[in-house]
Amino acid sequence: MLIPFVVFFPFFGAVLTALIGRKNERAGDCLAAAVCAAEFLPAILLLFRGGEFRIGGIMAYGISFTTDGFRCVYAVIAAFMWLFTTLFGLEYFKEEREHLIRWWFFVLLTLGATEGVMLSADLMTTFLFFEILSFTSFTWVIHEETREAISAGYTYLFIAVIGGLVLFMGMLLLKAALGTLSFDLMDTAVRERGITKEVFAGGICVLFGFGAKAGMFPLHIWLPKAHPVAPSPGSALLSGILTKVGIYGILMTTMHVFSKNTGYGMLVLLLGEITMFLGALLALFSVNLKRTLACSSMSQIGFILTGTGMYVLLTAAGSEEGAGTALSGLMLHMVNHSLIKLTLFMAAGAVVMRIHSLTLDEIRGYGRNKPFLKAAFALGALGISGVPLFNGYISKTLLHEGIVEGIHECTAYASLLRVSEWVFLISGGFTFAYMLKLFICLFVEKNSDAVRQKEFDRERRSMNVLSCAVVFGSSLLMIVLGQPAVMKKLAAFMTGSEEISEFSAFAIGNLKGGLISLGIGAAVYLFAVRNIFIRKGSYVNLWPEKLDLEFLVMRPLLVKILPGIFGTVLSVFGENKLLIPLARAAVFLGTFAGRVLADSTDAVILFFRKTIFKERKAAAPKTDLPGFWWTIRESTAETIGLLAQNFSFALLMTCIGILLILGGLVFMMLFHS
Amino acid sequence: MNPLILLVPILLPVIGGFLIIPASFKDAKKRAYYAEAVVVLTSVFVWLALLRVSRDPVTVYSFTSGFSITFRIDGMSMLFAGMISVMWPLVMLYAFEYMKESKRQNGFFAFYVMTYGITLGIAFSADMITLYLFYEMLSLVTIPLVTHYGNHESQYAGRKYAAYTIGGASLAFFAVVMTTLYGDAGTFIFGGSLHEGFNTRLMMFAFILGFFGFGTKSAVFPLFDWLPTASAAPTPVTALLHAVAVVNSGIFAVTRMTYYVFGTEMLRGTSIQYICMMTAAFSLLFAAVMAVREKHFKRRLAFSTMSNLSYMLFSVMLLTPEGMTGGLLHMLIHGVIKMMLFLCAGAFMHVTGNNYVYEIDGVGKRMPVTFSIYTLASLSLIGIPMFSGFISKWHMVMAAIGEGSAWGTAGAAALIISAFICAVYCLTVSARAFFPMAGKDRYAGNGGIREAGVLMLVPIVFFCVVDICIGVHPGPIVDFVSRIAGGIL
Repeated sequence: MLIPFVVFFPFFGAVLTALIGRKNERAGDCLAAAVCAAEFLPAILLLFRGGEFRIGGIMAYGISFTTDGFRCVYAVIAAFMWLFTTLFGLEYFKEEREHLIRWWFFVLLTLGATEGVMLSADLMTTFLFFEILSFTSFTWVIHEETREAISAGYTYLFIAVIGGLVLFMGMLLLKAALGTLSFDLMDTAVRERGITKEVFAGGICVLFGFGAKAGMFPLHIWLPKAHPVAPSPGSALLSGILTKVGIYGILMTTMHVFSKNTGYGMLVLLLGEITMFLGALLALFSVNLKRTLACSSMSQIGFILTGTGMYVLLTAAGSEEGAGTALSGLMLHMVNHSLIKLTLFMAAGAVVMRIHSLTLDEIRGYGRNKPFLKAAFALGALGISGVPLFNGYISKTLLHEGIVEGIHECTAYASLLRVSEWVFLISGGFTFAYMLKLFICLFVEKNSDAVRQKEFDRERRSMNVLSCAVVFGSSLLMIVLGQPAVMKKLAAFMTGSEEISEFSAFAIGNLKGGLISLGIGAAVYLFAVRNIFIRKGSYVNLWPEKLDLEFLVMRPLLVKILPGIFGTVLSVFGENKLLIPLARAAVFLGTFAGRVLADSTDAVILFFRKTIFKERKAAAPKTDLPGFWWTIRESTAETIGLLAQNFSFALLMTCIGILLILGGLVFMMLFHS
Repeated sequence: MNPLILLVPILLPVIGGFLIIPASFKDAKKRAYYAEAVVVLTSVFVWLALLRVSRDPVTVYSFTSGFSITFRIDGMSMLFAGMISVMWPLVMLYAFEYMKESKRQNGFFAFYVMTYGITLGIAFSADMITLYLFYEMLSLVTIPLVTHYGNHESQYAGRKYAAYTIGGASLAFFAVVMTTLYGDAGTFIFGGSLHEGFNTRLMMFAFILGFFGFGTKSAVFPLFDWLPTASAAPTPVTALLHAVAVVNSGIFAVTRMTYYVFGTEMLRGTSIQYICMMTAAFSLLFAAVMAVREKHFKRRLAFSTMSNLSYMLFSVMLLTPEGMTGGLLHMLIHGVIKMMLFLCAGAFMHVTGNNYVYEIDGVGKRMPVTFSIYTLASLSLIGIPMFSGFISKWHMVMAAIGEGSAWGTAGAAALIISAFICAVYCLTVSARAFFPMAGKDRYAGNGGIREAGVLMLVPIVFFCVVDICIGVHPGPIVDFVSRIAGGIL
């Protein structure tokens, strides 16, 4: 009963919180925190007592859950992050209480949906909860209901829906091709049937569907927009865990369907590299605290995807050990990134909470004499930059090790992998550079406005005790997870194998990769950031405004190009361009034929008078009637006018229909004989 | 039970509805009680007939041999008649409230009730002649409903509606004649009722005329323009007739013709099948994009209806049992969803007097129930799991992929893409209602704007509950429909 409790309790808690919160807001806050706490304990118990759970009949297919090392760890991390962000939120939302009940309601719903995804045993269940959390987390993005928030919310929704539907298509393709959606049965199905074209198409769709949520290029556009505008606890969750939901889906299909498919591996690797590099670059250019962190998330997702790609390539090349390294690396990096972003976004929240701004110039020097905030941020920054002794170092080294293994094992495209290795190292360097930029800006430099700096300095404590404990406490995990022994245990538990027990984190070869990265980072900071991005003492945004995938390509395509094309089609086929002319042509033909027939009698008489009766001077009888063409034109117009204005237009259409039939009949007869 | 009882649900509303005109009620309440009583009684008889009447055909009147008016109940009639028999009484409630201020209500309700009987006639008909007869009658009886407001716009809409539906029916007439000549008088027999000895090419031609002819009522691509224009009608008409009864009778007729007269064997794999499939696929994409362009709330929904009708046509034209299951399921489910959408749109228009999408900004906080349900219905229409739309979309796309040809897969992709566009045109409305970018205060200071009356909310909430029930536990309905598609019912 542990699994259904973990998944469905938050849904129940959300409803309860909303009901009670309506009556008494303060009680609603406490209840939300209590629900998260009550969720955390059973989630931990899952680590020791796994199991399976299935409900048949829902949506005709049924939903099913299972547990293994990776799923359990992520269930715990989700519960942990929710607990911490909710506790932090108690202070964060103290003064901005607008829509707070809505916030708790949707936060708790999303918790349930996230646990549902993380414990799902088949793609259908994953999809169901994935869609739920896509829509519930939309309300996080628009929570503040400012113009930017709503605009970002629309983008988020747009991508979420597109991702959901592409995923749906992929899921159906996989179901049709493999006959099952259960992850475990997919293994056997793939072994029996191989990767056919349909399976591959389905896999690509699934990759893009989940990739949209993970922030994979080219569906990353929502990420740098949505994270900064959401309230900080929400940004922490969006970045720390919701992106991982996407990764979860990608990882599951990769491991169970495509683990030996080189083409798929290459695709994931390339997309991962692009995401990694582009994210880091965007982060370096950004002048907004949370936007930098958001772009950094995107970049870290790229690292994880790169690891996924390497895992596939190495498995396909037959290197068990290398694949194990890559898998451990990417799973550990997922864990690390979740926890690091939790700390960093909460630290950013502590800044926003007080000074309601995120622009680097305005918050410059805020943290100069706030030791806990400074320490927490520093630990997070050290972790994410991959500095030895902190957690990010180990996972990044493993990922790097995976690429190095790949260069040795997959000789066919060793040169390509060598390039990726450098992209990897440079992206790692950028990570260090932008974190350095943030840290120095917030905690070392003084604000250019001396009065403002004085205000900052006067304020000794930025958070109350609870928030401080939460933020600082979460940052201590960076050190705990920086120990190789802990990480090895964790990796063994998550992957279920002992592949990296031999791995030595601080061997010279491994240190070298990390140090090269850090060196690049330091150089970039010193030469590029200090000299180019800071002009006249303030941080400037050098990213060209126009260079935005969303506004450059996606929106015009949807709003202008497609409707334009179809609109043209409509105007051609619409009644005024097609039916009325058709009717006019029919009437014209009729009048013409009638007039010709009528005149032909006259013509016959004339003919005989000229030939038989030899009336040389004979001419057509002169009448008052107007000319031939004029009659036709006028009577056509008159008829059409009459027709279009009354009911007989319908009858005319009937006639046209019957004429078409007759024409068709004649045609058919001729054709056939 | 005597199969002649089938006549009761057809004649009762026709006569009962007609009597409203000579009775010319002065008191709105009396008229409402009378009309509702007729409709409810009819629904009772429908269910009695569905559950109790034997499956034998009953011939009411025979013109010549093999040319008669015959009724019979089978799976498809059960589905269609069962569906509208639940919807009609509920939407009548809505109509009483909605039409309260309108003129000429006697005429309106007379035709509204009569349409019910005619639609049941379509559902119960046992051969092409009977179907065609009621099909034409349906066109005629609904014209006064479209032109009800009597202003220039609705007159124009009425003319256009008449032109399209009557013209379309004349196309279908050829198919009716051909099947009557070469088949068992066009009797509906699952798997086809054509005898040997016809010219296949000519028959194919008849089929394609029939497809587009009957397809006119379900707004298939080149013959669709009447549907958005007909949004000028009062909302109960747009909701019940132009989203469910009339347009679904088009789908119903195409399905009947395809599976019960021509038979799938003859058509499968021919270019005719692919022409029809691709027309439908293009039509559904086209309509979805047009819906995004459209600013008028009801016309936008009308384009969405067109798109969804083309889903059904596409799915039916896959000519597999799965395809038929998907198409019929979507007929039912789309009916429920679109009913919600239109009724919500009607509630908005009734309460605020506004018609355009940009006038929705911020009204969600004033009408939370209406727009929450509107949002749920939109999610359902997109195909989000746990709502009914997901179920039918699942079946349609699975059928399209399972069909095997490249056309099928292309159509499946078209379905998914149009579902995405559907999200754009549906959710922007909800987003505007709840989270407007600007004009947040349009309805803020105005104390007059609040939820519509109870009579209008009851059907909306009811359909929402039905929608979620089907979405969570679709087993029985899917079984029922796949039994129809398997030829068992």
